[in-house]
Amino acid sequence: MTEEKKPEERKRRKTATEAASRVGPMVKAALAENLRAKEEGRPIAYSFIYSGYDEIIRAMDIVPAWTENYAGVCGVKRDAQRFLEKAESENFSRSLCTYALCGLGFDSWREETGEMPPNPPWGGQARPTVMLGSGQIICDPRYKWYQAAQHYMPDVPVYVAGLPYPPYEDDYDYRDVQGYYVKYIVEELRGLVAFLERHTNRKMDWDRLSEVIDISDRTWNMISEAYDLRKAVPCPMGTGDAMNTMVPMTFMMGTQEAYDFFKDLYDELQLKIANREGVIPDEKYRLLWGGGLPSWFALTDFNYFNSKGAVFPAEVTYRLVEPVYNLDLPRVSDPLEHLAWRWVKYWAYRHDKARKRPGSNPDVERLIEYIEDYKIDGVVMHEAFSCRSWHPGLIWQLNQLKRIYRDIPSLILESDIVDISSYNEADTRARIDAFIDTLEAVKSR
Amino acid sequence: MKSQYFAGVDIGSTMTKVVIMSEATLASVIGPTGPEHRKLANRVMEEALAKARLSFDEITYVVATGYGRINVPFADKQITEISCHARGVGHLLPDARTVIDIGGQDSKGIKLKAGRAVDFVMNDKCAAGTGRFLEVMAEGLGVSLEDMGRLSLEAKNRVEISNTCTVFAAQEVVARLSEGVALPDIIASLHEAIATRIYGMVRRLKIEREVALTGGGAKNIGLVKALEAKLGFPVLLPPEPLLTGAIGAALLGKDIVGEAVEKGETLVRSERRLTEASIFT
Repeated sequence: MTEEKKPEERKRRKTATEAASRVGPMVKAALAENLRAKEEGRPIAYSFIYSGYDEIIRAMDIVPAWTENYAGVCGVKRDAQRFLEKAESENFSRSLCTYALCGLGFDSWREETGEMPPNPPWGGQARPTVMLGSGQIICDPRYKWYQAAQHYMPDVPVYVAGLPYPPYEDDYDYRDVQGYYVKYIVEELRGLVAFLERHTNRKMDWDRLSEVIDISDRTWNMISEAYDLRKAVPCPMGTGDAMNTMVPMTFMMGTQEAYDFFKDLYDELQLKIANREGVIPDEKYRLLWGGGLPSWFALTDFNYFNSKGAVFPAEVTYRLVEPVYNLDLPRVSDPLEHLAWRWVKYWAYRHDKARKRPGSNPDVERLIEYIEDYKIDGVVMHEAFSCRSWHPGLIWQLNQLKRIYRDIPSLILESDIVDISSYNEADTRARIDAFIDTLEAVKSR
Repeated sequence: MKSQYFAGVDIGSTMTKVVIMSEATLASVIGPTGPEHRKLANRVMEEALAKARLSFDEITYVVATGYGRINVPFADKQITEISCHARGVGHLLPDARTVIDIGGQDSKGIKLKAGRAVDFVMNDKCAAGTGRFLEVMAEGLGVSLEDMGRLSLEAKNRVEISNTCTVFAAQEVVARLSEGVALPDIIASLHEAIATRIYGMVRRLKIEREVALTGGGAKNIGLVKALEAKLGFPVLLPPEPLLTGAIGAALLGKDIVGEAVEKGETLVRSERRLTEASIFT
């Protein structure tokens, strides 16, 4: 087994907002809560963010353990390598999703020794009661990861909720088929509730579920309204901070705490705008983080961009909500049906817009929308080698954007989400320097 | 009016280049890059000054570029190699719209508009697709890097060689030699492999004619031919492909000074010293 390695000491990254600076302790507290739940015998569910079942888990008082997030924490702490190596020693390929590899390495280590790996980042990840995958178009580890984890935890049951959504085609209206999708998703979620009742000794309180959904709908709206404030010049909050504020958005959805967090953020941004307080004093370039998960071990690159006069008022990554009042949702009495409609309508949100522009698609349309709304000068994307489902399409999106919209300066960063061996700080920063030069050249034309 | 002189210092991974200009180029020196960039840059600069019959104090402005640009203690400003190559090519080959630079450590594609870089791609992760690929192969084949271009023109047949990994390609070369494949055929195939890789990268930019080829790779006639075959048209070559970055750096220095004069601003210059520097102090 890999020997214990002391992770590299890192300075804490400077955030622009007070809200973002609160997130680290929140993640720490959530992980501590998982360990406490384990001690107290409360059910814990390994879960994936944005799988449409957040509210169900919350309503049933099941403690979620966001396994992707824990891999990200290991990345931020620069302490993922030993878990990746452990997974590799179990014959998993390094070219698989490194979130999954990190998690599988961690689980196999914990199960092999019967205790947490030595000095696990922020206390470690507790053994789950159940594991909840999700069959989605966006990511294959969402249904394979937990099945593989059963090699080490054969007694922990897995439920994979199928959560499809109508794919975009320019020659049909998704409304023709949306009803089938909703019906299917409702059945899948109903199956999930039955599975959880069977394996966790918890009973669904349907009134409670409706209350939780109401909170999360209001949180969707509050997030959208807070993030819209970033359109201001100078921009009061950048993508570096949004990589923190994604935590309450994705890991705490359906809680009052998440709603309150974004209300506080909204108030803070309002104040900053009133005081003309931007992320940086002299804002020269406004950039869009146009796709790709970040390198969690290199979030200081956002500060490096800032040092060159560049800010990121918007990002595609982890902007996983739209204002619910814009989604045209039907009024339904079944809370599961509401979740299904919200799911389908979210994914189809830009279908109509895309169909009006030949060569476009909803992802490209979103880039165009943000470029215009946030007065964007250039687009930055990150190709993480280990993410096969989302990242390969980014280059196509960028090419289409330039073809059908305008030839906007762009930068592709290449590395990974967790695997630090793929990252070279000097080369990354040389690329950023060169990109800043091109932005300047285009601006001064 | 007193003459003004501008110096461009381009410290790449394998070569250090210095150009001194006034209205035209007065002197240029190309020397190998050592592990201590600053020391070597110092010596190459002194050599260039001697050739131009100038003292260091007579140089109005010095711009450093390339990977080692931060290690140049006597530069007034550091500018990225993308901008410097763009400026240099824009000056030397005004018809160029795309630049392909094949250096020792990386290769890059640059899109030009009005002599300035407006987009770029870089390969800095992997030796395949850079001059280092050919260096390793030359070593394995027992031929000098300089002879590879000429030898490849004698090729009769091509063989398949991997372009994804320098180490694997080196193993393939040994296997081909043991199969009795002729040396020129192997070298031409290596050029094709590297050209395929570079072309694949630069295509992301939507290549526009004319295309200028710079860097050490542009001095290899076999690689030039292989790239032209991929592009489907001839490329433009500057008189000395290694110097475009340094020339661009000197010209950008001249631009900076000219702009300051035009605006009536005081020129901001660093506290430069042409003394031997050590990275340990």
